[in-house]
Order: sequence, then C-alpha cells, then structure tokens
Amino acid sequence: MRVQHIVWNDRSGWSVAKAEPRASSLVLYFGGREALASGARYEELRAMFPAAHILGCSTGGQINNDDVSDDEIVAAALSFDATRLQLCREDITDSHQSRSCGEAIGRALRSDDLAGVFVLSDGLNVNGSELVAGLSGVIGADIPLTGGLAGDGAAFKETLVGADCAPRTRTVAGVGFYGQAIRVGHGCAGGWDLFGPRRQVTRSVGNVLFELDGEPALDLYERYLGPDESKGLPSSALLFPIQVYDVQCPDSAVVRTVLAIDRGTRSMTFAGDVPQGWTAQLMRGNLDRLSAGAADAARQARSGMAAQSPGVRDSDQRLSILVSCIGRRLLMGQRTSEEVEAAGAELGSGALRLGFYSYGEISPHARSGHCELHNQTMTVTTLAEVA
Amino acid sequence: MHKLLAQQLVKATDEAGWVDLDKLCGLVVAAYEDIDRDRRRTDRSMSLMIEELDAVQRNLEHTVVVRTKELRAREAELQAQNLRFDAAISHMSQGLVMFDGDARLVICNQRFIAMYRLEAENIKPGDSLRHVIDRRIANGTFSGDPEHFIGNISVTIKAGQQITQFVELDDGRTIAVVRRPMPGGGWVATHEDVTERRLAEIKIAHMARHDALTDLPNRLLLRERLNEALAQVERGQRLAVLYLDLDQFKNVNDSLGHPTGDELLRAVAQRLRGCVKDTDTISRVGGDEFFIIQTGINNATDAEHLARRIVEALRAPYELHGHLVMIDASIGIALAPTDGSDANELLKNADMALYGAKADGRGVYRFFEAHMDARMKERRALELALRRAFDNNEFELYYQPMLNLGKGDIRCCEALLRWHHPERGMVSPVEFIPIAEEIGLIVALGERVIRWACQEAAQWPSDICVAVNLSPTQLASKNLLPTVLGALAASRLPPQRLELEITEAVLMQNSEVTLHTLHQLRSLGIRISMDDFGTGYSSLSYLRSFPFDKIKIDRCFIKGLGDNSESDAIVQAVAGLADSLGMTTTAEGVETREQLDLVRSLGCTDVQGFFYSPPVPASELAKVFAEQPGAKVAAA
Repeated sequence: MRVQHIVWNDRSGWSVAKAEPRASSLVLYFGGREALASGARYEELRAMFPAAHILGCSTGGQINNDDVSDDEIVAAALSFDATRLQLCREDITDSHQSRSCGEAIGRALRSDDLAGVFVLSDGLNVNGSELVAGLSGVIGADIPLTGGLAGDGAAFKETLVGADCAPRTRTVAGVGFYGQAIRVGHGCAGGWDLFGPRRQVTRSVGNVLFELDGEPALDLYERYLGPDESKGLPSSALLFPIQVYDVQCPDSAVVRTVLAIDRGTRSMTFAGDVPQGWTAQLMRGNLDRLSAGAADAARQARSGMAAQSPGVRDSDQRLSILVSCIGRRLLMGQRTSEEVEAAGAELGSGALRLGFYSYGEISPHARSGHCELHNQTMTVTTLAEVA
Repeated sequence: MHKLLAQQLVKATDEAGWVDLDKLCGLVVAAYEDIDRDRRRTDRSMSLMIEELDAVQRNLEHTVVVRTKELRAREAELQAQNLRFDAAISHMSQGLVMFDGDARLVICNQRFIAMYRLEAENIKPGDSLRHVIDRRIANGTFSGDPEHFIGNISVTIKAGQQITQFVELDDGRTIAVVRRPMPGGGWVATHEDVTERRLAEIKIAHMARHDALTDLPNRLLLRERLNEALAQVERGQRLAVLYLDLDQFKNVNDSLGHPTGDELLRAVAQRLRGCVKDTDTISRVGGDEFFIIQTGINNATDAEHLARRIVEALRAPYELHGHLVMIDASIGIALAPTDGSDANELLKNADMALYGAKADGRGVYRFFEAHMDARMKERRALELALRRAFDNNEFELYYQPMLNLGKGDIRCCEALLRWHHPERGMVSPVEFIPIAEEIGLIVALGERVIRWACQEAAQWPSDICVAVNLSPTQLASKNLLPTVLGALAASRLPPQRLELEITEAVLMQNSEVTLHTLHQLRSLGIRISMDDFGTGYSSLSYLRSFPFDKIKIDRCFIKGLGDNSESDAIVQAVAGLADSLGMTTTAEGVETREQLDLVRSLGCTDVQGFFYSPPVPASELAKVFAEQPGAKVAAA
C-alpha cells in the first residue's frame, strides 16, 4: 500500500501529488463545509485521480498529522497492491431511514472476502446508532466497521458527504476493503470523567431525550452551562456529554453528544439513542485526560494491527484515520492539537495521520467489540497491506 | 517555554521568520479566555454538582429516616404478629409441630408437648426429628420402627403430598396427624386427639346397623349378613331365614303401655339370643318383627328345631313392671337355596310363611310352600273387598236368642255380623274379623254394629236385651264411651237393655284404662258379660277383677259334656262360682236336648245355641219372639 499526503489551502491550492496519481484507487479528504460546498475541490481531486474512488466529508476541523486546522483540506491518496475496493452511496431523506440505509450499504458491500468498512455519514439527519446497527447487522459483527458523522464546525447547520460526487447533504457512503492483504486496526477511547449524580432517563424517544429524573433535560444543561454558555447551545452542550447505560448491563455504557435542542419541548436530540429507563450521568473533560484518551485509542489501533498482522512493520506505509469528537475540540480550544500529538506519539512515525472532528464516531467498542456509534471519543482506524 | 506558547509562536510567525505580535497576542488572549471560561465552567459545574449531591444526600438521608421508620413500624407489627401467632399456636386445641428441611424442630406448641407427655425442657428448636421420637419412645407414646417412620415422612414430604394418618397410641388414644409440606423441604403437622370422635363414629356406625331398643342388627345389617351368608350358599351351604312375629303384641302395648312393650321386646331379644348359635344373626326389623338367619344347617329339620326352641322359649311368662305377660310367637321359615337364592326372595318367602303360620293359629311355625303365594294374593284381594264392603255396607246383623232356663223366655239376643260378598256370598266372621283388625277397620265396624244393634233392639219387646261383642281394640279406643252413649241416645234404647260382651283377652291386658271404661259403662246401667269363658288362662281370677253381670261358658266345654267328666266339673264350678258372685251363666253352643239338660243340671242359668235357634236376620226375629220358645225349653 502506498499513501500520498496532499493538502489544499486557499492560498496555494492543492499540493502536488508526487507519484502515479493514476495508480491511486482511493482518495479520502476532509475539509470545512464552506471549503467543500462548491464542489470545486472534488472536481479538482477527480481531475487529479481519475481512477480513484473519492470519499470525503465536511468537518469540525481537520487533523493533519500533529496539527489541527480549520482552513485546510487534508487528503490521502491510497494505492493498494492486493486489495479490492467497493464504494457505496445512499441518500437519506429522514433519520427514521437510518437503519434501512445502513442495511442497504451493508447489502451492497457484503462479500465473503470483505475485510473492513469505512463509513462517512451526514452528521445531522441520520441516527448514527441505527445506521451502524443496520450496517453491522448485515455485514456481521466481526467485520471492523469504522468511520464518522460529518461535522459543521460548531454551527450544527449542514453537513456534507461526497462519494465519487461533489459533497452534499443527506448522504451516507461506505467503502469496503476486500481481500487477504488489507489489515484494519482500530481503537476508541474517550477520557471524559463522570461527575454528578446518576440520573434516570425518565422520558425519551429514540435519540430525543425529554426528561432526566422527571426534569426537562434542557433545564439541566442550561443550569450547568450558565446563562452565557447556554446561548451557545447546542454546541456548548458538548462540554457536558452524558454517558448512558443499562444498569442490567454495565458494558453497554456509551457516551452521547448533543446534535440539536428544542426549546419548545425542552428536549435535546443526541447523535445516538438515549433509551428510556437507562441510567445517565454527566461527564466533563480535562485536557490531560482527554489527551490520554486519544493516546489510548491510538494504542488500541496499533496493538490491534500488530496482533492481526505480525508481518506489517512500523516502517511500512500505512494510514491512520483519526476521527475525534467536535465536543473535545470545543473543550480543548487551542490545545486540541495536544490530543492529536498524544495519539501520534503512540502511532509511531511510519503512519500518515489524517482525520477530522466529527459529530459522531463509528468504531468497535473497546470492551464489547460491537460496532457502535460513539460520541466524545477519539477513534483511530489504521490501514495497511501485507505482502 | 510552555508548549502552547511555542505553538502560538509558530502560528504567529510568517514564512520569513517575522513574529506577528498582534496575532500572537490574539492567540495568547484567546488562550487566557479559554482558561478563564474553563475555570468558570468548572467552578459552576462543581458547585452545582455539590448542590446536587447535597440534595441527593439529603434525599437519601430523608429516605433513610423514612425507611427506618417504616422498618421499625414493620418490626413492631412483626413483633405483634409474632405475639398473636404465639398466642394462637399455644391456644390451639391441636398439637402443632414444624420441622425444617433438615428434619430439625422449628417450633412446637404446648399442646403437642402435653399430648405426648414430653418435657418442655427436653424439646428445643433445632432438635432432630429422631430426638423427638426417641423421647416419645422413652415415655411410651411412640411405637414402631423410628427409621421407617422418618423415611416415610421424608418420601411423602419430598413428593409434596399432604398426609393424614390416624395413630393409635398404646394408651388407647387415637391421634389424627395431618402433615403438610412447606416450601424449603420442611413440614408442619397438626396432631389432634380424636379418641372421642372415633368412639362416636364407631358408635354411629353401630347405630346405623343396629336397633336402638334391642341392640340387635337392623334391617340394613340383616341384608348385609344375609348377602354374606348367601355367598356361602353358592358354595354349597344351606341356610334358613326365620321370620318371627309376636302374637297380639299390640295388645300388650295398648293395655300395659309402650315402656312395658319395649321391655317385652328386649326380653324377647334376650331369649332369642339364647336360642341361636353365635354365627346366626338375629335382627329386629321393626315393631314386634324379628328375622333370624340360621347358617350352616344340614336340612329343614335343623330349622324346625330352632323354630320350636324359639316358640317354647318365648312362650314362658314374662315378669314386666309387675305384670305377668304371656305371649306367643308365630314363625315363617324359608330355606336357601330351596326357597330362593337371593335376599329379597328369601325374605319375601319367609314373610309368606309367617302369614301362613298366623292363619293357622298362633304360636306356630310354618315352612314356606309354593301355594302360600296364592293364599297371600287371595288375602290381599279380601282386604280390598273388605274395605269396599265397609264403604258399600255389604254387612248385615243376625241375632241369636239366649233363653232363661228358669222361665223359658228370651232374655237377650246376641248381635252377630254377617258379610254378603257380592261374588263369594256369605263370608264367615272368623275369616274377615281378623283382617278388619289388621287393617284397622275393626273400631269403625264395631261402632256401626253398636248403633245398628241399639236401633233394632229398640223395636223389640221391652224385656229383651241386645248383646254386642266388643273387640279388645274397640275397648282400648277412646271413642267407645261416646259411641255407646250416642247409639243409646239415637235409638232411645234404655242402657239396661244393652249388654256388651268382652273376652278374656281384654282382661289379660288388664289395664287401668280398660277397667275404668268398663266401670263407666256399667255405672250407666249397661250390662257387661264375659264371652267365651274358659278359653284363656287363669280364668277364675279374672272373675274377681270385674263385677260381670254374666259369664258365657265357651262352647268347647258344652261340646265335651257327658263324655268328659272334666268339662262337667268345670261347667259346674263356673256356674257355682258365678252364682256365688251374683252373676248369671250362659252355656254357649247348646245344640241338643242332652246338652240342655246337662247344663241345666250343672247350674247354668241361660242357654244359647242351635237347639233353640240359629242366628237369624232381624226380619225373622219377630217370628222367633212369637213362637213361644219358652215352651220348648220348659218342656225339657
């Protein structure tokens, strides 16, 4: 596998692809919504890589090795020696179609030699939990499924996904990696601290949370954010993610992040399900522990890769895709790059590290192994090929 | 240098290496603001969390207080419940004992301890079942194999069965034990002393199959025993069923009262017991009727011997409440398998044989014979006919004159009832009077006779009386006096012209009531005579019990006159005795001149019989009166 790292900024345009652009079979790119919205950048990529599948999305910030930026577009062009690819794109009009959308992609990508799937999804009009459940239900829980929900900075207005087309809203796309050569390492960790009392989800419908302990959920968040930061809702709610779990099954614990609020119904819409009857607890972040979480995710991906493919050397070319939550970035501000550096330190010098800040991360659960939608985590997907 | 400042410097430095101070300051200020915001947020969230946790803690404390209070209340309620439970258990009339799944004592009440004469200090919760049993073995309230007993309990409790057992203790008590499994493998058992109830049940079971008066088997047990015995008949054995009935028992009851009647029945039962083998069954089936099942007989003679023994045994006088009572028994005998092989048939045939015995006179036994069935049917027909005859008045009174031997004139005519059966013609009173008595028609028929006789006698010459026979049943009836008074009043016949004839049998049941009635009748001027004198027992003593006006000497003595000096002597003695007591004597059944002469010579004052006149219809009496019968008598 060969990896070319290219970058776009409005001053210099695209950095030049160094070698054999026609041999590249997959281009991944991540950029701000405004930079991608026109479709011009896609067309430029298409021109550069006419034979490749081109998959990308809008973000809440791009990860470019140790840096985090808002004004660049980061991209990687991949050439595989022995790995077949298949790209599938589905449009979605309503979040209730999330599961069937996932199932449709799963059916399109399903194959005996399917080795992994990387998914990018609209970040606002999709119930990520349902999407992942639908997809993973079809391809099987043992196929690594990673990816993320597209972002829109802290605006939460519109997210774009492009798959062999100009980026657009309400799109979900996945690329399947096939064959014996491809290796997929993955890791997922949060680093958030639980705080405050445990609360009962007393009223919720799917991913819409109405009440905790009988009190409107929005009241609780506004109280914790204070009047100033409440003005920044829904993005400011990302400073206090919640962990939800079924008391009968503590391994089910997942972190949920807010996508939208409704001041009329005092409800909050999360990126994944918040089942009624489950227990919820607020979380708060701290720079050091979030960075440690990112390092943990990177460690998982690296050790996973090492375990499944002793033949892959650290010096071989590989790509690590880092998908981290916008909530983490909002909390860490200028110091966000510290978590990226922490992850990079674990992944080693041989890997190109690209990624984005998302509205939801998709990765197998670190403990249960089940593919799930995560929030407020750093997920790392590492791709490599063995000879 | 701080890592962040280093980054900021990099970001604020252009490609030529110049640091843009404004940009740097902007980044630094933003970083400070970030830190301030983060600190404020942290402060805020920490204090909110503390408030919330505080509230949660207060809530918890409150909950603890409330729960503690509830627990205390529940504890108190449990304690009260325990007290009530204790009180209930210790005041139970039953013994109660509870064992756990390891067969160790959980609880037992005082009643249980007392019931098995245990010592409370030796029986403690936690003791094994074996220990409790050992204590009971030691004091003699347990018998049997303890291991077997424990094994049995274990099996039934594991099977989840409720078991009820009746345990007979060596001291005679019966204990009902009900053992119910409990969740967890233990059991609870109640022990109840049911000795009294068991005895009562035994007594009730006995009463259901025995006659309360004599304690003999009743009809139910009779049938059971007969069926059992008949099963043996199927294997070749023979048996006899004897159906026994006391003759004239009703008279004993009527004249001496039921207590005496009951005493007589008990005495009869006792004598019967003396007559049979242990394997035979005597049963009283009601009134004065007894059945005897005689088993293991060889032939009819065995049954005949038993019947004879019984007749003899029962015939001996009974001393009851100061009265000397004599009674005969009639017996019908049916044999199995000859006369039937099922109970119903045998009992029915013995009944018919009894009927045959009664028809043949009293104090006799008869074997069943096939023709008895026909006779029984005939008798039933006669019963029906008699009832119809009463309704249709198919009766007529005949009169037989009695003559005074001195003057030769007719002093009195005896009214005699005749039945004109529309198909059979004249039916003898000997045949229908006993049936009338049995079917309860005798009183009504007797009353009718008194009224008729008085009415007809009122038409006769004023010096001629009418004699009417009274049956013992009539005399016992409360209606007798009103009937007689009514008949006299209706006919205007003077009481002195009415003579009532009673038999010795009436006096044999010498009740105060009977004598009182007789005295009342006599005080009205009605004459009382003794009929058929000499056919009963202790004849002469009866003459002293009531001042009769007349004694009628039974025809059997008259028939024996001449060739039997005993009859002569008796007639003479009676006549003499009567004379000395101021009574007249009428010789009944005088049919010849010789008899007439003899009775006259022996001292009788009056005669009655065919020699002078047979009974005649009322319509012919005028002719008899006109024939001057005195001449015929006087001429003798």
